[in-house]
Amino acid sequence: MLRETGGRGWMPGCFFKKATGFDCPGCGMTRATYATLHGRIGEAFLLNPFGMVLLPLALIGLGIEVFGWVRGKPLPFRLNPGRWGATVIAVVMIVWWVGRNLI
Amino acid sequence: MSWYYSKNGMQLGPVAEEELLAKSKSGEVAATDLIWKEGMSDWKPLGQVPEFQGSSPMAMTPPPTQMGSVPMQQPAPMNSNQMPGVIPNYLWQSIVVTVLCCMPFGVVSIVYAAKVDGLVARGDIAGATAASKSAKTWAIAAAASWLAIMAIYFLVFISAAASGNLN
Repeated sequence: MLRETGGRGWMPGCFFKKATGFDCPGCGMTRATYATLHGRIGEAFLLNPFGMVLLPLALIGLGIEVFGWVRGKPLPFRLNPGRWGATVIAVVMIVWWVGRNLI
Repeated sequence: MSWYYSKNGMQLGPVAEEELLAKSKSGEVAATDLIWKEGMSDWKPLGQVPEFQGSSPMAMTPPPTQMGSVPMQQPAPMNSNQMPGVIPNYLWQSIVVTVLCCMPFGVVSIVYAAKVDGLVARGDIAGATAASKSAKTWAIAAAASWLAIMAIYFLVFISAAASGNLN
Protein backbone atom coordinates (compact mmCIF):
# COMPACT_ATOMS: atom_id res chain seq x y z
CA MET A 1 0.00 0.00 0.00
CA LEU A 2 2.98 2.28 0.26
CA ARG A 3 3.46 2.44 -3.46
CA GLU A 4 2.78 5.92 -4.71
CA THR A 5 1.34 6.88 -8.04
CA GLY A 6 4.25 5.49 -10.01
CA GLY A 7 6.29 8.62 -10.59
CA ARG A 8 7.98 9.42 -7.30
CA GLY A 9 5.36 11.42 -5.49
CA TRP A 10 4.87 14.62 -7.37
CA MET A 11 1.24 14.28 -6.41
CA PRO A 12 0.85 15.90 -3.02
CA GLY A 13 -0.99 13.08 -1.30
CA CYS A 14 -3.54 13.61 1.43
CA PHE A 15 -3.02 16.70 3.56
CA PHE A 16 -5.36 15.40 6.22
CA LYS A 17 -3.23 12.30 6.57
CA LYS A 18 -0.03 14.34 6.63
CA ALA A 19 -1.43 16.61 9.33
CA THR A 20 -3.07 14.03 11.57
CA GLY A 21 -1.73 10.64 10.60
CA PHE A 22 -5.27 9.39 10.06
CA ASP A 23 -6.74 8.24 6.78
CA CYS A 24 -9.49 10.41 5.32
CA PRO A 25 -12.48 8.86 3.50
CA GLY A 26 -10.83 9.55 0.16
CA CYS A 27 -7.33 8.33 0.99
CA GLY A 28 -6.03 5.95 -1.62
CA MET A 29 -8.17 7.36 -4.42
CA THR A 30 -5.21 8.77 -6.33
CA ARG A 31 -3.54 5.37 -6.23
CA ALA A 32 -6.86 3.64 -6.93
CA THR A 33 -7.47 5.84 -9.97
CA TYR A 34 -3.94 5.16 -11.15
CA ALA A 35 -4.45 1.43 -10.68
CA THR A 36 -7.79 1.56 -12.51
CA LEU A 37 -6.24 3.39 -15.43
CA HIS A 38 -3.67 0.62 -15.61
CA GLY A 39 -6.35 -2.04 -15.61
CA ARG A 40 -5.75 -3.22 -12.05
CA ILE A 41 -9.33 -2.89 -10.88
CA GLY A 42 -8.94 -5.37 -8.04
CA GLU A 43 -6.01 -3.46 -6.59
CA ALA A 44 -8.00 -0.24 -6.93
CA PHE A 45 -10.88 -1.70 -4.92
CA LEU A 46 -8.49 -2.80 -2.18
CA LEU A 47 -7.08 0.72 -1.93
CA ASN A 48 -10.44 2.39 -1.40
CA PRO A 49 -13.57 0.26 -1.95
CA PHE A 50 -15.84 3.04 -0.73
CA GLY A 51 -14.47 5.62 -3.13
CA MET A 52 -14.37 3.17 -6.03
CA VAL A 53 -18.11 2.60 -5.70
CA LEU A 54 -19.23 6.08 -4.76
CA LEU A 55 -16.97 8.34 -6.79
CA PRO A 56 -18.17 7.11 -10.20
CA LEU A 57 -21.79 7.41 -9.03
CA ALA A 58 -21.18 10.89 -7.68
CA LEU A 59 -19.43 11.96 -10.88
CA ILE A 60 -22.38 10.73 -12.95
CA GLY A 61 -24.85 12.49 -10.65
CA LEU A 62 -22.80 15.67 -10.76
CA GLY A 63 -22.25 15.31 -14.50
CA ILE A 64 -26.00 15.27 -15.14
CA GLU A 65 -26.43 18.44 -13.12
CA VAL A 66 -23.47 20.21 -14.68
CA PHE A 67 -24.64 19.24 -18.16
CA GLY A 68 -28.07 20.74 -17.48
CA TRP A 69 -26.44 23.83 -16.07
CA VAL A 70 -24.11 24.29 -19.03
CA ARG A 71 -26.86 24.01 -21.61
CA GLY A 72 -28.99 26.38 -19.52
CA LYS A 73 -31.82 23.88 -19.13
CA PRO A 74 -31.87 21.23 -16.43
CA LEU A 75 -32.44 17.69 -17.64
CA PRO A 76 -35.83 16.23 -16.71
CA PHE A 77 -34.15 13.41 -14.80
CA ARG A 78 -31.31 13.21 -12.35
CA LEU A 79 -29.52 10.68 -10.27
CA ASN A 80 -31.14 10.99 -6.87
CA PRO A 81 -30.60 8.42 -4.15
CA GLY A 82 -33.65 9.75 -2.28
CA ARG A 83 -33.83 10.72 1.36
CA TRP A 84 -32.98 7.26 2.72
CA GLY A 85 -30.31 6.61 0.12
CA ALA A 86 -28.65 9.90 1.01
CA THR A 87 -28.76 9.08 4.72
CA VAL A 88 -27.30 5.64 4.08
CA ILE A 89 -24.47 7.19 2.06
CA ALA A 90 -23.70 9.65 4.87
CA VAL A 91 -23.72 6.92 7.53
CA VAL A 92 -21.61 4.52 5.44
CA MET A 93 -19.17 7.35 4.77
CA ILE A 94 -18.68 8.03 8.49
CA VAL A 95 -18.49 4.33 9.40
CA TRP A 96 -15.95 3.80 6.62
CA TRP A 97 -13.89 6.78 7.73
CA VAL A 98 -13.79 5.75 11.40
CA GLY A 99 -13.52 2.05 10.61
CA ARG A 100 -10.54 2.28 8.28
CA ASN A 101 -8.59 4.12 10.97
CA LEU A 102 -9.35 1.47 13.58
CA ILE A 103 -8.28 -1.52 11.54
CA MET B 1 -43.57 31.56 -24.57
CA SER B 2 -42.77 27.99 -25.50
CA TRP B 3 -42.73 25.16 -23.05
CA TYR B 4 -40.97 21.85 -22.88
CA TYR B 5 -42.57 18.92 -21.19
CA SER B 6 -41.53 15.43 -20.33
CA LYS B 7 -43.53 12.25 -20.50
CA ASN B 8 -42.19 8.83 -19.47
CA GLY B 9 -38.67 10.16 -19.29
CA MET B 10 -38.83 11.62 -22.79
CA GLN B 11 -38.39 15.30 -23.35
CA LEU B 12 -40.95 16.83 -25.73
CA GLY B 13 -41.67 20.25 -27.09
CA PRO B 14 -41.31 23.09 -27.49
CA VAL B 15 -45.00 23.86 -27.65
CA ALA B 16 -46.89 27.11 -27.24
CA GLU B 17 -48.42 27.84 -23.88
CA GLU B 18 -51.98 27.49 -25.25
CA GLU B 19 -51.10 24.12 -26.70
CA LEU B 20 -49.70 22.86 -23.41
CA LEU B 21 -52.75 24.25 -21.64
CA ALA B 22 -54.94 22.23 -24.02
CA LYS B 23 -52.84 19.11 -23.46
CA SER B 24 -53.21 19.62 -19.75
CA LYS B 25 -57.00 20.03 -19.98
CA SER B 26 -57.34 16.93 -22.11
CA GLY B 27 -55.19 15.01 -19.65
CA GLU B 28 -52.49 14.26 -22.21
CA VAL B 29 -50.03 15.99 -19.93
CA ALA B 30 -50.76 15.16 -16.30
CA ALA B 31 -50.35 17.49 -13.35
CA THR B 32 -47.41 15.35 -12.29
CA ASP B 33 -45.54 15.58 -15.61
CA LEU B 34 -42.52 17.82 -15.50
CA ILE B 35 -42.52 20.96 -17.58
CA TRP B 36 -39.98 23.68 -18.17
CA LYS B 37 -39.53 26.95 -20.02
CA GLU B 38 -36.65 29.34 -20.49
CA GLY B 39 -35.93 31.15 -17.24
CA MET B 40 -37.11 28.46 -14.83
CA SER B 41 -34.42 27.14 -12.54
CA ASP B 42 -35.60 23.57 -12.85
CA TRP B 43 -38.31 21.29 -14.19
CA LYS B 44 -41.51 21.34 -12.19
CA PRO B 45 -44.64 19.25 -12.13
CA LEU B 46 -47.23 21.01 -14.28
CA GLY B 47 -49.65 21.17 -11.35
CA GLN B 48 -47.20 23.37 -9.46
CA VAL B 49 -46.62 25.92 -12.19
CA PRO B 50 -48.80 28.99 -11.62
CA GLU B 51 -49.67 29.35 -15.33
CA PHE B 52 -51.32 25.94 -15.31
CA GLN B 53 -52.78 25.89 -11.84
CA GLY B 54 -56.28 24.52 -12.01
CA SER B 55 -56.06 23.61 -15.69
CA SER B 56 -55.50 19.94 -15.09
CA PRO B 57 -58.33 17.77 -13.76
CA MET B 58 -55.96 16.48 -11.10
CA ALA B 59 -54.10 19.64 -10.36
CA MET B 60 -55.50 19.92 -6.87
CA THR B 61 -54.58 16.46 -5.67
CA PRO B 62 -51.01 15.98 -4.47
CA PRO B 63 -49.05 14.16 -7.16
CA PRO B 64 -47.87 10.65 -6.33
CA THR B 65 -44.27 10.13 -5.36
CA GLN B 66 -42.01 10.22 -8.34
CA MET B 67 -39.07 7.93 -8.65
CA GLY B 68 -36.12 9.29 -6.74
CA SER B 69 -38.08 12.25 -5.58
CA VAL B 70 -39.77 12.93 -2.29
CA PRO B 71 -43.43 12.64 -1.47
CA MET B 72 -44.78 16.08 -1.98
CA GLN B 73 -47.04 17.80 0.41
CA GLN B 74 -48.96 20.77 -0.75
CA PRO B 75 -49.68 22.91 2.24
CA ALA B 76 -49.94 26.68 2.02
CA PRO B 77 -48.85 28.33 -1.21
CA MET B 78 -45.10 28.43 -1.36
CA ASN B 79 -43.02 30.68 -3.49
CA SER B 80 -41.39 29.14 -6.49
CA ASN B 81 -37.91 28.59 -5.12
CA GLN B 82 -39.27 26.77 -2.10
CA MET B 83 -40.94 23.94 -4.00
CA PRO B 84 -40.07 20.46 -2.84
CA GLY B 85 -37.44 18.94 -5.06
CA VAL B 86 -36.25 22.38 -6.09
CA ILE B 87 -34.11 22.78 -2.99
CA PRO B 88 -30.78 21.41 -4.13
CA ASN B 89 -29.27 18.86 -1.77
CA TYR B 90 -25.67 19.15 -3.10
CA LEU B 91 -25.16 15.47 -2.28
CA TRP B 92 -23.03 14.60 -5.31
CA GLN B 93 -21.03 17.78 -5.02
CA SER B 94 -20.23 17.09 -1.39
CA ILE B 95 -19.25 13.48 -2.10
CA VAL B 96 -16.92 14.46 -4.91
CA VAL B 97 -15.36 17.16 -2.76
CA THR B 98 -14.89 14.81 0.19
CA VAL B 99 -13.39 11.96 -1.78
CA LEU B 100 -11.15 14.11 -3.96
CA CYS B 101 -10.08 16.82 -1.57
CA CYS B 102 -9.47 14.75 1.53
CA MET B 103 -10.98 17.43 3.71
CA PRO B 104 -12.81 16.42 6.85
CA PHE B 105 -15.39 19.21 6.37
CA GLY B 106 -16.52 17.38 3.28
CA VAL B 107 -18.14 14.88 5.61
CA VAL B 108 -20.02 17.69 7.37
CA SER B 109 -21.29 18.75 3.97
CA ILE B 110 -22.50 15.22 3.18
CA VAL B 111 -24.35 15.00 6.49
CA TYR B 112 -26.19 18.25 5.73
CA ALA B 113 -26.82 17.15 2.15
CA ALA B 114 -28.35 13.90 3.39
CA LYS B 115 -30.77 15.81 5.61
CA VAL B 116 -32.22 18.03 2.88
CA ASP B 117 -34.65 15.62 1.19
CA GLY B 118 -35.84 14.19 4.51
CA LEU B 119 -36.67 17.66 5.82
CA VAL B 120 -38.50 18.52 2.60
CA ALA B 121 -40.52 15.32 2.94
CA ARG B 122 -41.48 16.31 6.46
CA GLY B 123 -42.59 19.69 5.19
CA ASP B 124 -39.82 21.58 6.98
CA ILE B 125 -38.97 23.87 4.09
CA ALA B 126 -37.05 26.36 6.25
CA GLY B 127 -34.97 23.54 7.76
CA ALA B 128 -34.32 22.02 4.34
CA THR B 129 -33.25 25.37 2.92
CA ALA B 130 -30.88 25.87 5.85
CA ALA B 131 -29.44 22.36 5.48
CA SER B 132 -29.01 22.92 1.74
CA LYS B 133 -27.15 26.15 2.43
CA SER B 134 -24.92 24.50 5.03
CA ALA B 135 -24.12 21.63 2.67
CA LYS B 136 -23.12 24.13 0.00
CA THR B 137 -21.05 26.23 2.40
CA TRP B 138 -19.12 23.26 3.79
CA ALA B 139 -18.51 21.82 0.33
CA ILE B 140 -17.14 25.14 -0.85
CA ALA B 141 -15.03 25.44 2.31
CA ALA B 142 -13.56 21.99 1.69
CA ALA B 143 -12.83 22.74 -1.96
CA ALA B 144 -11.41 26.18 -1.20
CA SER B 145 -9.12 24.99 1.56
CA TRP B 146 -7.88 22.17 -0.65
CA LEU B 147 -7.14 24.68 -3.42
CA ALA B 148 -5.35 26.94 -0.93
CA ILE B 149 -3.19 24.10 0.36
CA MET B 150 -2.47 22.95 -3.19
CA ALA B 151 -1.42 26.47 -4.13
CA ILE B 152 0.96 26.65 -1.15
CA TYR B 153 2.25 23.17 -1.91
CA PHE B 154 3.07 24.04 -5.50
CA LEU B 155 4.65 27.35 -4.52
CA VAL B 156 6.94 25.50 -2.12
CA PHE B 157 7.57 22.84 -4.74
CA ILE B 158 8.45 25.40 -7.39
CA SER B 159 10.66 27.47 -5.14
CA ALA B 160 12.46 24.31 -4.04
CA ALA B 161 12.94 23.32 -7.66
CA ALA B 162 14.12 26.81 -8.54
CA SER B 163 16.77 26.81 -5.84
CA GLY B 164 17.85 23.32 -6.78
CA ASN B 165 16.86 21.77 -3.48
CA LEU B 166 14.58 19.12 -4.93
CA ASN B 167 15.07 15.80 -3.13
